[in-house]
Amino acid sequence: MQQVPLPPPGAVPPRPSARPSADAHPRSVAQVPVAEGKSVQQTVELLTRKLELLGAEKQGTFCVDCETYHTAASTMGNQGQTGKLMYVMHNSEYPLSCFALFENGPCLIADANFDILMVKLKGFFQNAKANKIESRGTRYQYCDFLVKVGTVTMGPSARGISVEVEYCPCVIANDCWNLLMEFMQSFMGSHTPGIPSVFGTKHDSVYSPADTVVQYMELFNKIRKQQQVPVAGIR
Amino acid sequence: MIEDVSSDACSDVDTSPCWATQIILQEPTQQLPGVNLEAFSQAITAIQALRSSVTRVFDCLKDGMRNKETLEGREKGFVAAFQESLHSVSRDLGELERLSNLVGKPSENHPLHNSGLLSLDPVQDKTPLYSQLLQAYKWSNKLQYHAGLASGLLNQQSLKRSANQMGVSAKRRPKAQPTTLVLPPQYVDDVINRIDRMFPEMSIQLSRPNGTSAMLLVTLGKVLKVIVVMRSLFIDRTIVKGYNENVYTEDGKLDIWSKSNYQVFQKVTDHATTALLHYQLPQMPDVVVRSFMTWLRSYIKLFQAPCQRCGKFLQDGLPPTWRDFRTLEAFHDTCRQ
Ligand SMILES: [Zn+2]
Repeated sequence: MQQVPLPPPGAVPPRPSARPSADAHPRSVAQVPVAEGKSVQQTVELLTRKLELLGAEKQGTFCVDCETYHTAASTMGNQGQTGKLMYVMHNSEYPLSCFALFENGPCLIADANFDILMVKLKGFFQNAKANKIESRGTRYQYCDFLVKVGTVTMGPSARGISVEVEYCPCVIANDCWNLLMEFMQSFMGSHTPGIPSVFGTKHDSVYSPADTVVQYMELFNKIRKQQQVPVAGIR
Repeated sequence: MIEDVSSDACSDVDTSPCWATQIILQEPTQQLPGVNLEAFSQAITAIQALRSSVTRVFDCLKDGMRNKETLEGREKGFVAAFQESLHSVSRDLGELERLSNLVGKPSENHPLHNSGLLSLDPVQDKTPLYSQLLQAYKWSNKLQYHAGLASGLLNQQSLKRSANQMGVSAKRRPKAQPTTLVLPPQYVDDVINRIDRMFPEMSIQLSRPNGTSAMLLVTLGKVLKVIVVMRSLFIDRTIVKGYNENVYTEDGKLDIWSKSNYQVFQKVTDHATTALLHYQLPQMPDVVVRSFMTWLRSYIKLFQAPCQRCGKFLQDGLPPTWRDFRTLEAFHDTCRQ
């Protein structure tokens, strides 16, 4: 596989049109369960109303998507061994980048045309189209925090809600975890997540864009394994 | 009419003595205290004489040896003429010196010394120098008086955070430089270097892009950066920015004007400016810089320290941005006493 040059750890890919907000700041990505007796959309509205009451302002939209590839059967050595899954993800915060990662494995940050390369490699990696999953929603700004509340959809159905909270002035994840948590409690209440696993492994190193994508991948995998939301809940 | 007279007088005396003659012609009856006007006018004549005799010396040198029958005659004639003109220079100079002693010293009685003579300027309307001068004089007198009072008050207050040690060190120290604005750059460098070595988590980069005034770029851990504009050892201005924010302008100079994009650092910038006003000790600017940096260093836990009053991390979306000047404890802006 062609080696795509990797930026130095912690550095934002040096691309001219990268938006300034795309700098790497500690973020927490978490799932909020659908409120009882409500649809996904209604729960999202509840959340965003709480944010607006807090004083947060709408600031555009966002989208994170994830495609799953498995290694093609022809390249497998032993019969019966299951192929490793590779995920190719895009994040609208980094419009010129593409992230390729394995579960627990390395994360590659490449240019956006990495997708074309994957098409060429279809003999080795096959796109599991049905597994495509994405989260779309609104960006909110509150003081130095950025909040992204998204609806996670897989195919035609809404499967869950993602909440990403970012604290922009800080670069060290562990420095501001308490602060992030207190902020999330103010609008997520009991659904405030625990410390993300990527935070735990970072100690005092600088948070990188890949850390966010890994958190989304973990969230998407969790949602995929969950039962589909009861039909009554979907509009 | 008066101006006509004086300008006539000027034309043949030209340059320096002009102004003096003007005075005499202008106010012939007004006796300046301690000035012998007779001697004054004689002195001016003596200056004229001296000027012309000096001119003669150079004329003589310029013309060189005149045509004489023999070479010896030529040399003799030249030397004699040269000697003669030098003698007259020395004679005129002696005369001028004698007269200048007679003129007296008017300036000593006048509170504004020689500048007091400006009041005699006939063209008051065009050049109101004298009234401006008086105003400037009064103003600077007042300034000096107030500065003295302020300095006294500040010394009583001393530096709050280290008041106890101050008593000791103030005795040990010789009464330090009163003109701290003109400290040599080397001294400033030394003070900053010492502070830089004091705090391992803080790095200070000193540069002098605009002449002698130093600018510091202080990087505190991976939390924040501070641009400090110095005047000698006094801190003039400080701007706090995020660790990953750009601190340079497009042409690569430190950007001392634009503020941080983040509210938290804008708030810390405000507090740092307050700190500059708090840590004041005109006689010991190095202590002030050190105290300020010690205070600044407490921001290493900007995102990690809960408020010492309400126990929370956030208030209105901001962490505790205030640091107590004495205890360095973290407080929200609205939680400090
Ligand atoms: Zn507080």
